[in-house]
Amino acid sequence: MNFFFMAWQYLKFRWLVSLLTISGISTGVALVCAVLALRHESEKALSRDAGLYDLVAGGKGSPLQLVLSSVYHLDSPTGNIPYKEYERIRSDPRVEWAAPVGLGDNYLGYRIIGTEKHFFDLPDREGNLFFELAEGDVFQDRFDVVLGSQVAQASGLKIGDSFFGTHGLIEVAGAEVHRDFPYRVSGILAPSGTAQDRAIFGTLKSVWEIHETEDLLHSAIQGSAIMADHKTRETTAILVRLETPGLRLWMADEIREGTDGIAAIPINEIMRFQQGILGPVQKILLAIAGVVVAVSCLTVLITLQQAAERRRRDIAILRSLGAYRREVATLVFSEGLLLTGGGILLGLLIGHGGMAIAVDYFREATGLILNPWRIPSNELYALLIMALSGALASTFPAISSYRRTPIDDLQLSE
Amino acid sequence: MIRLNKVSLNLGKTDHSLSVQFQLPAFEVTAGEIVALTGPSGCGKSTLLNLVSGLRIADKGEIIVDGVNLMKLSPAQLDRHRGTHCGMIFQTFHLLSPFTALENVLIGLRFSDRNQKYPKKRAIDVLERVGLGDRLHARPDELSVGQRQRIAIARALVGNAPILLADEPTGALDPRTGLEIFHLLKRIAEEDNRTLLLVTHDPSIAREMPNNFDCSELIKPRELTADEEVTGS
Repeated sequence: MNFFFMAWQYLKFRWLVSLLTISGISTGVALVCAVLALRHESEKALSRDAGLYDLVAGGKGSPLQLVLSSVYHLDSPTGNIPYKEYERIRSDPRVEWAAPVGLGDNYLGYRIIGTEKHFFDLPDREGNLFFELAEGDVFQDRFDVVLGSQVAQASGLKIGDSFFGTHGLIEVAGAEVHRDFPYRVSGILAPSGTAQDRAIFGTLKSVWEIHETEDLLHSAIQGSAIMADHKTRETTAILVRLETPGLRLWMADEIREGTDGIAAIPINEIMRFQQGILGPVQKILLAIAGVVVAVSCLTVLITLQQAAERRRRDIAILRSLGAYRREVATLVFSEGLLLTGGGILLGLLIGHGGMAIAVDYFREATGLILNPWRIPSNELYALLIMALSGALASTFPAISSYRRTPIDDLQLSE
Repeated sequence: MIRLNKVSLNLGKTDHSLSVQFQLPAFEVTAGEIVALTGPSGCGKSTLLNLVSGLRIADKGEIIVDGVNLMKLSPAQLDRHRGTHCGMIFQTFHLLSPFTALENVLIGLRFSDRNQKYPKKRAIDVLERVGLGDRLHARPDELSVGQRQRIAIARALVGNAPILLADEPTGALDPRTGLEIFHLLKRIAEEDNRTLLLVTHDPSIAREMPNNFDCSELIKPRELTADEEVTGS
């Protein structure tokens, strides 16, 4: 009969106290795991999107806003930039790939991104095509669209289906529906785990056509002069990949100096965003989780100390049977290890299980796909520290049991 | 087998603030002997058992068990001596509540015969011998007091300890059950040729024992040392 079995029997015998202690530990561990895993996964997911492009050019405004609106399809765009700037950038020999992004409408809250066919030629960092079509083809006609995987799933649209875009970037009741311009689904993208999964990609020409027609109509109704010099068409942003990513700072400066707009480096903006806004929030959450874990370890210490105190008679009996001091200490220590180990395992399950439950909500809200079961290395370190703290907390009652002389405790009643 | 020679042990102060001392000039028991330790409460019967088991260490004298002087052993060696030489049976059974009858006996075996190859078989055999073969998986609180004492006896026997130290094993039992338990213990000791030291207050049990040792004079007021006389403590 080994000590772990004996310790397990004692824990079962005092099941309520054991359960409460394990619950305390697991709550702290779950919090730590969830915060660390969420941070790791969100950083990874955000970097995955930001890493696709070296530069984003757009109208004057906040660089972060420009990145969020054109890369992550969140937030409002900063303003427009002349289409000819896009043509100039694309023809630059240092540019490997560039594509325009024209915003204006949505369907069921999913943004319709006006771009060009070669948008889908975007290579990933290994040189393979980033976009993969699950069904159909890229747009052939100017009102053809390609759906992100999440849009296809949420809307139920299939190849050949039609729908109307709604004016604006978010779904608002009563917003103007462009009923004269039906879109037709020509393709559906395979899931990429990025914000692209919740976008609808159409032609930039369709965006221009819808909005210029609407503007002309509005002008006619209002009796104002016919606007639009069609040669001064604009786009909301320009996404750029460079032949040499190391040139992005120079290129950004050139764009800023040569146009009325701004240029942002997505990965830099996202890192600033994470460190400046998400970082402090995560630190506070981690501090709270750390306090919970510390309290839990203290609970292990108190529980074991009380158990050892209550079990002075049992420990004396074991000594009277011939158990060495170190053996009774090992027994008490084993109980501590089981409590801590049980708490850590349960906490891991709750923390990551909770993430697994929330993963769909997270994807809906942000478009980021998280892997809830991946355990990042800093989480492993945190778990190791917690296990060591639990072991340390178990040492004190074990030493106390080691030091006791059995003769007095044998007189204690059950 | 067991020899105590000029043993003294300071027991501290009694309830009446009287400092007392256990003093035993000589005590000898041969292997396989069965002895009742008798005398009034608090006379030192249990202390004698505890000295033989190594649970208490004397201040002076010699305690020789199986040729080894316990006074010269380290705490770990005393633990080992208890496990290999002494099977202890207590008045209030001292069973471990979370464990079944079988597990209690297995725990006893864990510390007494550490190299036992077939512990479970050995424990079941012993439990069957004390008449508990059908209650192997019952916990102490599911058993009668008589059955609980049988588990304690099985636990004491399981490691084949040559000495059985029984501290009032019938004290918590009704007279009929007490007598049954006593007969069981005596029979096993005789069959196995084990030494049995049995503390009892019961004259009928003492009468049935082949040998009696009167412990009435073992505890006396403590003689002050020269230093203590000077300081008056």
